[in-house]
Parts: sequence; C-alpha cells; structure tokens
Amino acid sequence: MRLISVIATGLLASVVLAVDHNNVDSGRPLRFDDAYSIAYRERAFETGFTLDTFRRSSPKYGLKTEYKYGFAKSQDIGIGFEPSYSTSNRRGDFGNVELSYFNGLRREIDDQPALAYRLDVGLPTGTGSKGVEVRARGILTKTVGQYDKIHLNLDVMTSTARIMDERQTTAGITVGYTKPLGYPTQFDRTLVAQFSMEQSRDRSRDWVGSVGLGIRQQVGVRSVLDFGIESDVFETKGRAKSSVRFAIGYSVGF
Amino acid sequence: MRNTLLLFVALTSVTMAVAQDHGGHQPTRSGTLPTMPSDLPRWISSPGADHLFYKAAPYNWAIERIPPFAQDMYGTGVGHAMAYEALVTGRKAQLETKVFETIDRVLQKPPRIPVDEAALSPTFVRKYGYLEKVFDWAHILHFQTIDVLMHPGWSDAQKEAEIQRLWSFYSAQPYAITGLPMNMEYLDSFPFSGRFRSNYPKVNGLFWGYHWLQTVNYDMLFRVPVQDQAAQYSVLGSQYRTTELYRMRDFMPMTAEMSPRFSKRFPMIANAFDNLHMLHDNVNDILAAEELTEKQRQEQVKIAIYRVLSSTHKGHEPGSGEDVPGSLHDHRHPTSTPGMGFMRGMEDDVMYMSGMGWMDMSVCAHCSIPLPDGPMWGATVTADGWTMLVRCLMCARDMAAETPGRAIIRAATEDPSRILVLISDEEGILTSNIPGVVFLEEFGEHPECSAWSRAFTSKSAFDQFVRENPDLAQSKPLTLDAWAQINRGTPDTYRKIDRPNPYRPEPTTGGSR
Repeated sequence: MRLISVIATGLLASVVLAVDHNNVDSGRPLRFDDAYSIAYRERAFETGFTLDTFRRSSPKYGLKTEYKYGFAKSQDIGIGFEPSYSTSNRRGDFGNVELSYFNGLRREIDDQPALAYRLDVGLPTGTGSKGVEVRARGILTKTVGQYDKIHLNLDVMTSTARIMDERQTTAGITVGYTKPLGYPTQFDRTLVAQFSMEQSRDRSRDWVGSVGLGIRQQVGVRSVLDFGIESDVFETKGRAKSSVRFAIGYSVGF
Repeated sequence: MRNTLLLFVALTSVTMAVAQDHGGHQPTRSGTLPTMPSDLPRWISSPGADHLFYKAAPYNWAIERIPPFAQDMYGTGVGHAMAYEALVTGRKAQLETKVFETIDRVLQKPPRIPVDEAALSPTFVRKYGYLEKVFDWAHILHFQTIDVLMHPGWSDAQKEAEIQRLWSFYSAQPYAITGLPMNMEYLDSFPFSGRFRSNYPKVNGLFWGYHWLQTVNYDMLFRVPVQDQAAQYSVLGSQYRTTELYRMRDFMPMTAEMSPRFSKRFPMIANAFDNLHMLHDNVNDILAAEELTEKQRQEQVKIAIYRVLSSTHKGHEPGSGEDVPGSLHDHRHPTSTPGMGFMRGMEDDVMYMSGMGWMDMSVCAHCSIPLPDGPMWGATVTADGWTMLVRCLMCARDMAAETPGRAIIRAATEDPSRILVLISDEEGILTSNIPGVVFLEEFGEHPECSAWSRAFTSKSAFDQFVRENPDLAQSKPLTLDAWAQINRGTPDTYRKIDRPNPYRPEPTTGGSR
C-alpha cells in the first residue's frame, strides 16, 4: 500500500499531462472501452490498484499498469503489466504481459455510432500461465440524449493452450454507460456504469453477469483519477459468486 | 419543375435574408452562396476522429503559472461549444437569454482545467466533426505559443526559436490554417455574413470578448520576463471580465491590434489566429442563417474551412494579391503590419479600430510621427481594451494618463533582455517591474523624441548613455515618481483622422481619438 502511495505521489508530480476524464479505457475503472484512441503522438500512462474479494477465498491485490502510444491517427499501441498478490497463498505473481493495439475506425457522424476495435495479446509470463491469450474486442460508442453515451463492447477471447476443464475460446459482452456530471457549470467528472456478461473459462460455470459503477475525476490539466466497484450479480449455471472488485487508478498523458 | 421551384424559393429567401439583415453593416455583401471548390482536401471526408497531440515539450502548461489567466483561457473553450450545440439542437431562441447566461456564468467562474469542447457540443461535432479538427489544432497552437512565452528559464531567443518550430509543427498537418494575411472584408462578404452578430449580439459580444483575451495576451507575455507577466494580468483579467466580454464591437479584435509587437515578430501566427477567428465567425453565421438547408450548411462550413486552410494558399506569398483585391488570394497587408490582412475601408496603414476610430499604424498613436523601423522601438500602451504603439516613453505616459482606468506601458530599455513594465492604478500612479529604473526626458523636437525620452535599468546605464550622447550632457536622471509627475498633454503633431465608421455608414464621431 505504501508502494502504491509513493507511485501515485510521483505521478501526481508529473509536469506534462494528458488524458481526459471523458475518454474511457478498459480497467479505468471499469472493463469497457469507448471507441476513441488516444491522440496521435500522445503517450499515456495508466495505473491502478485493484482489490478483488471473494466469498470463498481471500482477497487478491493487483496493480495494473499500462503504457500507450498514439503511433498514428486514431491508432495506439500499448504494453501492460498486472502484478498481483494473493493473501490466500501469500504469494506475488508478476502476471501476464499484455500487448495491445487499438484502431478507431470512425467517429460518430450524424446518427451513426463511432466504431473501433482492439486486439490484446497476453504473453504467458505469470505464474502457471500457459499459452498465449488473444482477445479481440469490437467497440461501438453512441451518444444518447444530449451528453450521455453508451459503449457496446463485444469480446472474443482465445488461448493457444489447451487445458483440461477450461474453454479454449470464450466470449463476452459489456454495455457501458458514461454521463458527464455537473454540466453546464462543471466539466471535470464523468460517471461510468456497466453491465457485463462474460463466459467463464471454467467449464463447470457458464455466463457470469456483473455490474459496475465508477467515477472518472479530472485532477490535473491532463490527468485523471478513477474509482470503481464491480460485482457479479448472476450466473447462468450455478449461483452467483458475489465477488466484489474495487479499483482506484490514475492516468496521465504526456 | 419541383426542383426549379425549390431553387427559386431558396434563391429568393437568400436574397430576402440579405435585404432584411438588420445589422446594416455589410455594404459589400455578395448575394450568392459560394460554391464548392473542386480541390476540397480529402481529409474533410475522412471518418476518423484523428485527434492530434500537442508537441511534447518542457514548457507545456506553463500557462498555469498565472492561474486566473489559465482559467480564463480554459473558459474560452466553453462559449462556442455551447452556442454551436444550441444552434444545431433547435435552441436558437434561447441564445440571447438562457445560453448567454450559461456561457457568461462559466466565463465569470471559469473551469480550473481545460474543457473538452467536443464533449460540450456532441450534436454539433457529430455533424461537423471535420471542423472540430481545424479548431482543435489551431487552439493547440494558441496554447503552446502562450506556454513557450511563459516558460521560465529560457531566453527570449530560445523562446522565439521554439515558437518558429511550433509554427512548423503546426503547419505540417493538413488541418493547419494559413499564416498568410487574408482580406477580412472578403471573408465577411457572403450572404450569411454578419447574421450571427446581428441576431445574437450579446452572445457574439462574449465571443469577441474572449477573442480579445486570446489576442491581447501575447504582448503581455512577449519578451516580458516571466516574473513580470502576472501583474499585468491583474489589469487585463479585470478588463476582460468587467468590460471586454460585454463590449459591442464593430468587428472582431485583430491580433495585430491587440498585440502589435508579437504580431510584428510572428506575423504568420497573428494571421493564422485572425483567420481562425474569422472561421469561427463564418461558422456562427452559417449556423444562424435560417434560409440555409442542412445540406447547404454542411457545404458552406466546408467551403469556409477551405478558404482559410494553409493548403488552399500553397505557393502564395504575403503581400501578394494586388491584382485580385477583395478575393480569396488577396494577401495584402498594411505596410507596417504584416500580421494583419486588409480590413474594410483600409488604406495601406490606415484602418478603423473599434473604439479608437481611424488610426495610422505606421505612426505613433500619440504624436502621429512615423514609428522608426525595427521590431523593438519605443513602447506600447494598453488601456481601456486597446494596445497602441508609441515612439517613446513620454508619449506612452501621456497617452496612458489621458485614458481613464488602469494602463500598462511596456517599453524597451538599454538592455534588450529587460522590458520595462509600468502598471498604473485607477489614480494613474505607476509601479515598475524594474526597481531602480531611471528616466531620461530632455524635452526637445518631437520627431526626435525616441532619442531624448528613454528608460534605463540603472543610473549607471543612464550615465553611460549620456556620455555617449554629448547633446544630452546636461540631462538629469529622473526617478519614476518624478518622471510620472510630468504631463505634456497631446502633442501639436497629433493628427486625428476623421472619417466615418466603415462598419456603420451613418455619421458617427469616428471613435474616441
């Protein structure tokens, strides 16, 4: 925890800032993306502390960190790390290294939504990881009402490793919602919410539904603090796990 | 037959709208809509968001060194966004009431961080996303040039070299606005021109008020040591919030009017900002023109962008266009002011300035004697919203004294790296940024005033100047207090140019001076 506060303090002291509370990236704080990449030539650093609680096991702490670079107009690449610490076995795990590519295909034009896709490749660098994991995500963003937006994310995840009792390919769908708070007098806060259904890798389980709620708060000219909470609410096979996931993060562009 | 009828109705409504424009300030307005050029850049049709990031540099966000200035500048992102959103969502009727009040509230209590204009105007951006690319990119240039000038630790030469690099960085993108001077009368001569300011004068006043802020700040910062910048903003910020936002002007503030010294050094940037602000005005007018269909609006916005794009004017030179006056490639400028395109009624250096009347920009605004060549002569006076070039400190002092309210005098000293900044309070009492400043004022012939009315950073610098100029051997150094007590009034050489206001053909006094 002390390490996290040291890192956060260091980041807050950064001189040149970017990132906007209106633009949503997965993990900050919920799991959905909007259909917009970071700007061409922008570099962004996103980090966040997560706490996963489980009904039948001890909590797990994570520190997800991602570096992105807008290498072309409407396209960015990134590399992410997610080391974690599990209190049940008192072990740290370096976690998988994730490489990402994002392509914003089109902005919202008239009544047509913004479209994008992203590809993530997870390298098996974590303890016990096997095979390369690939996730393809299609993203749609559309304004509803005056300022609110919905974001539809469709995921397909696959792994090169064949593991007993685990599905090799799974799917997921997330509907995200963002609403700027404080208009028309304040312009620094966005409410984020999501409903998500994801197919479990575990063959003994099926689809897990979850909800999430969070805030993205601009804290500097181009830096954002985020808070979020997610919880599983149902499972199509078996009972809900009732896990709760807290996330607090900080993003800065430069 | 149906199409012919529709065309007739459209043309009739355009003609009627022109005839009924109650502004009455547009004597040379064309009656036909501009047509789509054949070489419209392909990026305008690109569906990508294509956001661009600013140049990575250590000076970024140096504007935050003066928080009230930074926040006022952040607030400027709100006005057009809110008005555009109102215009495209059927809320025109609320523009002068509810929308005005909302924008005004934000400008008076500005945000502490930059505002994402696209987030405030989502409907507008869905319709005119290509325009947002041009605006965003130019606004980045606005902010980064300010950041460079406010960056501590760099010399003036380093800052100016970096601003030149910023200009190249900006110009390399297809969304860049031309740095050539453009004929403002031409850019304001279309059937819809003036519609917004005629129909929505209060909101337009806010727009031009913050265009004033966006242009007046450059001389506040240019070659002024960073520690002397904030004090000036106490004057300018107050002027902005209490007066400039509500001033009814004849035409938008021009960069070279508000920041003449910066504009002489970087005319291409001054021109780009004026062209940007004119594009804003064009878009306001197009959106406010009731007679235009949605398709026509889309076309006219694209044409308005095309007119000011750098790519449209490739191969043209500043000063060219005498053979095509009042047209797209009229790039003439006043001889003394390369950072300004031709204005309505302008004759070489003589132009009509809102609030000041007819002024000759090649002469001292106080004594009417020609300004010497060179970028850093004499002084400038900023008071009551205007900024004027004067030949010498005597002219600066006396001109500031005859203007009610607070004033800022910026003047050269013997040290090129130390600009004298004098700020007067409401009673006219001056304070200086150079504690030991001494003055020379050996009253003589006015045409030589810049030789005998000067400021020095120290007594020793004064003594050296006197030694080098035997004619001034008897001169005594004056302290700030002693110098400030002198007032020689309006010089005999001053010549007022008395002509009618070209924006208001009816007889007027022609301005305050």
